[in-house]
Amino acid sequence: MLLSTVQIKFMGDSINIEVVYALPHEQIVFKVPVPAGATVFEAIKLSGVLQIHPEIDLAKNRFGIYGKLSKADTLVRDKDRVEIYRPLIADPKEVRRQRAAEGKAMKKGGEA
Amino acid sequence: MLMAIGSLTAMGVTLGTILGAAAKFLAVEENPLEEELKAMLPGSQCGQCGFIGCGQAAAALAKGEAPVTLCPPGGKAVAEALAKKLGITADLSEHEEKVPEYAFINEALCIGCTRCIRECSVDAILGANKLMHTIIAEPCHGCAKCFAVCPTDAIVMRPIEVTLGTWHWSKPGDGHAVH
Repeated sequence: MLLSTVQIKFMGDSINIEVVYALPHEQIVFKVPVPAGATVFEAIKLSGVLQIHPEIDLAKNRFGIYGKLSKADTLVRDKDRVEIYRPLIADPKEVRRQRAAEGKAMKKGGEA
Repeated sequence: MLMAIGSLTAMGVTLGTILGAAAKFLAVEENPLEEELKAMLPGSQCGQCGFIGCGQAAAALAKGEAPVTLCPPGGKAVAEALAKKLGITADLSEHEEKVPEYAFINEALCIGCTRCIRECSVDAILGANKLMHTIIAEPCHGCAKCFAVCPTDAIVMRPIEVTLGTWHWSKPGDGHAVH
């Protein structure tokens, strides 16, 4: 049943999207066609990024479209860039405290 | 049938005449020089010249309000081409060619504030609120706008390293080594 719905979706229009996972020295942009009406989760699965970067855990890594966090069942639209994010390493509060201790002000208003 | 054809033709002729007249009387005067200058600029709207984008820079150039050396990413080649177009001589002997750079994020300092993402005109930064930001090196054209707004100095500008993917022959008359 599930399989047949997927096939029907594929027989309809397909849209072109990008799935991106970025590391400091390696950023991969997957340009993939997905069936219209696919969700972010399906798009990531279809892109094959999980095979190349098995460290991505879709239960842990957050993801979004063009800088805005989205849910797994958000529908993707044509020309969307689905982005898989990594957590911060630094603690923002700690970075601010350190800068204050060193006497450096946070630029442009400071608050993040 | 004839009525339909006739009424549509009449409508077409009337509306066409109105549009034609409007185009003639309400035409916006464009400086052709401005368009040509705009075509010579990189068009990445990076804003390093101090103008909002390449169009505004071209307008200032056409009016003679900006120097031909205004475009950092364009470098010497663009400055020379602009000078030639405007029929002026520019002293480029002092001009120092900037090595192409790209932005790089020091992950130990990134606090996920998204300020750099909002600045980037080519969507080269991947990230979201309170999550790690990463520069996608390929589209980054080194405008350094993200570098300027980063509140924690986590962004550094790095020269593009010579790899098999980025190496190219130096341009004739460039006098500079490859980058």
